[in-house]
Amino acid sequence: MNDEDISRPKWKRWLLNRFVLVPAALVLITVGWNLWVVTHDHGIVEGRVVDAAGAPVEGAEVRLWVFNFATFVVKASTTTRPDGSFEFADNPSHNIQVSAEKPGTGRSARVPIRLYFASEDFVLKDPLRLTDGS
Amino acid sequence: MGKYPRWPIHLALLAASFVMLVPFYWVLKTSISGENIFAYPPSIIPRDPNPFYYVDVWYAIPFARFFLNSVVVSVITIVANVVLNAMAGYSLTQRFLGKSAVLMLFLSCMMIPFQTTIIPAYLITGKLGLLDSYLGLALPMFSTIICIFVFKASFDAIPRSLIDAARIDGLSDWNIIWKVMMPLAKSAMATNVILSFIWSWNNFMWPLIATRSADMQTLPLGLARFLSYQEDSTGALYAFCIMVLAPGILLFLLAQREFVQGLTSGAAKG
Repeated sequence: MNDEDISRPKWKRWLLNRFVLVPAALVLITVGWNLWVVTHDHGIVEGRVVDAAGAPVEGAEVRLWVFNFATFVVKASTTTRPDGSFEFADNPSHNIQVSAEKPGTGRSARVPIRLYFASEDFVLKDPLRLTDGS
Repeated sequence: MGKYPRWPIHLALLAASFVMLVPFYWVLKTSISGENIFAYPPSIIPRDPNPFYYVDVWYAIPFARFFLNSVVVSVITIVANVVLNAMAGYSLTQRFLGKSAVLMLFLSCMMIPFQTTIIPAYLITGKLGLLDSYLGLALPMFSTIICIFVFKASFDAIPRSLIDAARIDGLSDWNIIWKVMMPLAKSAMATNVILSFIWSWNNFMWPLIATRSADMQTLPLGLARFLSYQEDSTGALYAFCIMVLAPGILLFLLAQREFVQGLTSGAAKG
């Protein structure tokens, strides 16, 4: 401890050192992250389904697959609206897949989705594309 | 010193640092990329880095619970080590009959591995009713001989006249330790904190024996459990290792100056 340290007020010496500042920063980051999680963990997964030409597909069955220990199992399914959009509201997992299928139109590949925390709200950027409907 | 160039020393130190840091880098790289560690040629830069293996670990086991258990046990161990080792170290700086024998006993006991004392430790902890409790998990590590000698070396370096002056002023031995010796032995304290934390944090054998419920398990046990059903996921395994190692590395980086001072204090007494 040098002269400058000793001349500082006692509270500054106690609070403004790395043993306090680093844990305080970690606590702040943890609190901030948890606030983010609490406000974004409704389990909503949204997306769209289109056909091979890119047109929205109504009435396609979309499945939500959830990682269960060693493999993926179907957790829920829903059908698309007239504009081809779909929404799941009860995703419990952080490691999921979604797939879509409509007889006569085709089926999509299973799209893996990795989330930063369980039940994170997520919007699929690229639509699920139904192909090979014959 | 000015006579010889310093760059060969720096070069040698850089090479040694590289050799020691490469395994850590490799673990970190694999934890964010999941690459096969046996792939040839190995990639130095991680491909498609992502944090999802850490997320997998968080949800694969009750990580938060294991982390809390490890923290509580480590805090108890650190507090006990600082208090008990300081008292023991101070007593060894005093003159008393049989001091040499006590020192020899301590030194010889350092050679007894913990594994040989596990059964008596288990029986004593059981008789005290402390099995499967935080206190019971920390109990065998309450005091370590190496840390006692760290305090002793640090106290030995403090002038005897200071202790005599404190005694003339009417301070008891207890107050001499905490009001005179400890403020002058911060490096020894930091060394005690770091060593006891690392030993407690990494301890596997004793928690394996002393815990019965899954809720009381610590991180090393969690790692073993994780290995038992995630053995195919290298990325998640390495992510787990990073999550277990991080607190110890952070603590060491925070207190490394004091730690090194504590280990070398007393080495150049006089």
